[in-house]
Amino acid sequence: MGDGVKRITDYEWEVPVGFTPGMRVPGRFFLSEALRKSLESGAIQQLANVATMPGIVKYALAMPDIHWGYGFPIGGVAAFDISTGVISPGGVGFDINCGVRLLATPLSVQDLKNRRELVERLYQAVPTGVGAKADLRLSGRELEEMMLAGARWAVDHGYGVPGDIARCEEQGAMKGADTASVSQKARQRGFPQSGTLGSGNHFLEIQEVKEIYDQKAASLFGVSRGQVAVMIHCGSRGLGHQVCTDHLRNLEAATKKYGIQLPDRQLACAPITSPEGKAYFGGMAAAANYAWANRQMITDMTRKVLVKLYGIKYEQMPLVYDVAHNVAKMEVHRVDGKEVQVCVHRKGATRAFGPGSPDLPSEFAETGQPVIIPGSMGTPSFLLCGTAIAMEKTFGSTCHGAGRVTSRTQAKKDVRGRDIRDQLAREGIIVRAPSEASIAEEAPQVYKPSEEVVRVVDALGISRLVAKLVPLGVIKG
Amino acid sequence: MPYEVLDHTADVKFRVRGRTLAEAFEEAARAVCETMAPNCTPEGVVRRVEVEAADTESLLADFLSELLYLSDAESIAFCSFEVEILGNRLTALCRGEEFRREKHGGGAEIKGISYSGLSIYREGESYILEIIADV
Repeated sequence: MGDGVKRITDYEWEVPVGFTPGMRVPGRFFLSEALRKSLESGAIQQLANVATMPGIVKYALAMPDIHWGYGFPIGGVAAFDISTGVISPGGVGFDINCGVRLLATPLSVQDLKNRRELVERLYQAVPTGVGAKADLRLSGRELEEMMLAGARWAVDHGYGVPGDIARCEEQGAMKGADTASVSQKARQRGFPQSGTLGSGNHFLEIQEVKEIYDQKAASLFGVSRGQVAVMIHCGSRGLGHQVCTDHLRNLEAATKKYGIQLPDRQLACAPITSPEGKAYFGGMAAAANYAWANRQMITDMTRKVLVKLYGIKYEQMPLVYDVAHNVAKMEVHRVDGKEVQVCVHRKGATRAFGPGSPDLPSEFAETGQPVIIPGSMGTPSFLLCGTAIAMEKTFGSTCHGAGRVTSRTQAKKDVRGRDIRDQLAREGIIVRAPSEASIAEEAPQVYKPSEEVVRVVDALGISRLVAKLVPLGVIKG
Repeated sequence: MPYEVLDHTADVKFRVRGRTLAEAFEEAARAVCETMAPNCTPEGVVRRVEVEAADTESLLADFLSELLYLSDAESIAFCSFEVEILGNRLTALCRGEEFRREKHGGGAEIKGISYSGLSIYREGESYILEIIADV
């Protein structure tokens, strides 16, 4: 676990100042006894490294899906004072606004008689895997507009219904996007990839709502037991990767220019108010908006397949919600009784704003925002809601997923993709992927159990369980 | 000279070896490109890459990032590299072929090259590079 790490409560641990030289605040992370066994010391070191960054407020935080990443640990959350703090791509990651959305349908499991055909048709409809390209050919101006308007751009161009917008975090578009901070290289990668799923842990999953824990919230969010839903997990594709790469290089120089001492070069950063910091924020927001448009377009492809196959109406498939997992945002939080303006970095963490938050649409005033936590392939996913405790403890944040415990290399040694596919098929889960290896790398056993991760966030109170969803069919990138 | 893929929970970590720094860079390029697009043979596509950076670590990160960009933007599967390094300047001739899903599909997309865990050191006469890539 690492020297000096202290247990504060059943689920809360502290990394004290002094764990690594230069820490300005302690680190805090949340884990159960069961999850503690899989925590790598590298992840704790990365959390301590975050605590050395200028302007960090209160704590460097990590959610129960904490694991060893690059820069911030995955599951990392940190807020920086907007006048004295820094902004860093190391706190967001290469896949800007990698996120997840949940789509409701009017179908029940009994309606899905031809499930294999559904999976195959979705696999054909949604460009998937390395090198996949979308049919859509964007003009330069369209890409520019997409980076400013996000999901709204997609809806305005016929890839959705107006109701989708209100059901996206930030209404599907962050303010402050600056397309001048998106290089030609990033744009070139963005043109053919809008409306593509990508590879790795990205997926599109057909699910059944298996259990409801909070009837009132579930009704409001539009889910009921036995219902078929679709979960889509992907991000900003090559455009976002390039924005991160470009700005990481600029911020490396800025770190030296502003005399900032860092224990890890991947934490390269600049003051939020500096030209370099503003340029990164503007480019990151533009890439985040591209990601919202991307998920919206994949939603459209999915709806069209379901309309054709089951004779249901496009409008009968409302969006439950869409959340970002990798992003930095300007927010106002109460810290020690005072309101402070901060830039909250969430890297593999989900916003979980509680009831009454002014940033949420009024329909979520009583419940808090919907929070979507995907499981791994073959394991349950969960719908939760944000809480007042999250606002107090975690700058309105919670976990983002199960969190890996086994490397991809080890996974491929331990299991064969074909065996996993057959085993899941016996459980009634149909998997379609570009290769056997990509199934093995994402096998259910390489992740922490999603049930335990959400049990911890629910027990801590940083989000509250609403519903459990189980997979019926999976399209892997 | 083969590269090694080491255990890393969330990402992919490579260790490569070369008799010279340039040879180690060539091997690193092969590791990254083969992960994304396996089964490549150098057939007709050639790109010249030039990179200048403040130090050797940045030179490596920038070189590999440039390959990620070219692979993605121009749909190329790369597999053969000739690297020359002069101080903090690198020139590389990169050979491969047009990316085709039937032949090169099923790889893992690399999102970026991380400075966390990036290291360059000597072991006897050899140069060793360690790289963590986000997949």
